[in-house]
Amino acid sequence: MIHLENISKSYDHKNNVVNDVSLAVEPGEFVSIVGQSGAGKTTIVRLLIGEEHPDSGRLLIGDWDITRISRREVSYLRRQIGVIFQDFKLLPKKTLEENIAFALQVCGGKPAKIKKIVPSVLKIVGLEDKGKRYPHEVSGGEQQRAAIARALVHQPKVLLADEPTGNLDAINADDIINLLLRINRFGTTVILVTHNKEIVNRLNKRVVTMDHGVVISDLAHGKYLL
Amino acid sequence: MLFLYRIIKFSLQDIFRNIWLTLVTITILLLALFAINTLVTVRLVSDTAVAAIKEKIDISLYLQTDAPESSILALQDKIIASPRVKSVDYISKDEAITSFRERYANDQAILGALKELGRNPLSPSLTIIPKDFNESNLVISELRVLDSSIIESRDFSDNSIILSKINNITKRVNEVGLFIISIFILTSLLVVYNAIRVAIYTHRQEIEIMRLVGASNFFIYMPYLFSAFMYALFSVLIIIGIFYPFLTLLQPYLEAFFVGYNINIVTYFLDNFWFIFGGQFLVVLFITALASLFAVRKYARV
Repeated sequence: MIHLENISKSYDHKNNVVNDVSLAVEPGEFVSIVGQSGAGKTTIVRLLIGEEHPDSGRLLIGDWDITRISRREVSYLRRQIGVIFQDFKLLPKKTLEENIAFALQVCGGKPAKIKKIVPSVLKIVGLEDKGKRYPHEVSGGEQQRAAIARALVHQPKVLLADEPTGNLDAINADDIINLLLRINRFGTTVILVTHNKEIVNRLNKRVVTMDHGVVISDLAHGKYLL
Repeated sequence: MLFLYRIIKFSLQDIFRNIWLTLVTITILLLALFAINTLVTVRLVSDTAVAAIKEKIDISLYLQTDAPESSILALQDKIIASPRVKSVDYISKDEAITSFRERYANDQAILGALKELGRNPLSPSLTIIPKDFNESNLVISELRVLDSSIIESRDFSDNSIILSKINNITKRVNEVGLFIISIFILTSLLVVYNAIRVAIYTHRQEIEIMRLVGASNFFIYMPYLFSAFMYALFSVLIIIGIFYPFLTLLQPYLEAFFVGYNINIVTYFLDNFWFIFGGQFLVVLFITALASLFAVRKYARV
């Protein structure tokens, strides 16, 4: 599904933030990428969504080589990879429903399709009765759920979650992780980037540990090592 | 069609949901346009003033006191035949003395001296007005070589000095005016450019999210370009609504100031409507669209 082959990336052409990383993620897997700040986790996310290009190596999503992906192709890539962030990235002047519909509208989705998909994804994330609310009118956990719903509208094969629980309390964080697990059970590959030790240890799923831009361990049922 | 509908919808939604920012942006555009139109008005008034002064300039050809009327009229016909001459007025000795007395009606010393003299010392003259002020020197040259025995004086040095001074002043006024207008227009355009960039800066999050959810470049740019179009359209329409009443209020004052001269600023703006306001719309649209393109490009790099 996802293949990183000897990927290296630096921002100053001196120190690599990602150094010769090779990684393969199979369809339907739930992978946690862990590590301390500066380990290179977020750079991996940026490379996977085409925000950055690697300096060397090869990056494949399915059969699609996105190593030198063009700006035009990035749009298509992002319709196939759902992504959520620590800061939710919801538009404050749109309701949750509008935020979700927005992702389809900007990609040319037909109104009938939008009308059908938006309530169904809201239901998946448990926000069916809060679609008309603005982001500031709901809790952080609910905002993150809305962001997940938005990421799901294109029915992506991969869902990237970059520190999705970073701004949430323990209860809301657990809710979000349970939601990601449920999405994974439906067959979506989930890549969770986090430094939350408790969450990673509870998951008992594959854990890739990074340190100083290098993969230092890759365990099928791993724990947070650092 | 669906794309077009959504582009317009997002743009209008953005304009109305950020109504204060929209109002501030349009106000800045309006101030810039008002300043530019005021400069156009000032330029028109100054041009009229200079033209009025130029119209006052005439060339007097003094004739011998005993020149027969028939010779004077023949000379008048000869001068008016020149393609460069607009009119030639004959001022007889009697008219000259009457005019002189009227001019110095309050100066008893001069009038007393005239009485003492006991005769009309003034010469008859021909007052020549050139068709084009800038050709005055050519008319003077023609008069210098004119073959006529009744001409008393061919000294036009005073005229030449005045012509030269007026030409210099006009040239300087034009240069300074152009410089001030250029600086003002440039400043206005920079302010407008910056206002649009600030407006788009507030949408950076939206642009970033558009990119993240897979919007095409076309869809990211177009709503902002449409907003730029709306800003330009609204600001020009509003300035038309504001400026015409302003000109109508100004017109009576201008008429009172330029008595006897044809100045109608409202008509001028109406006659040149498309050039003035159409041009302003295109320039504002160009600047707002350019600013939008650069600003959106900056935030769409995510």
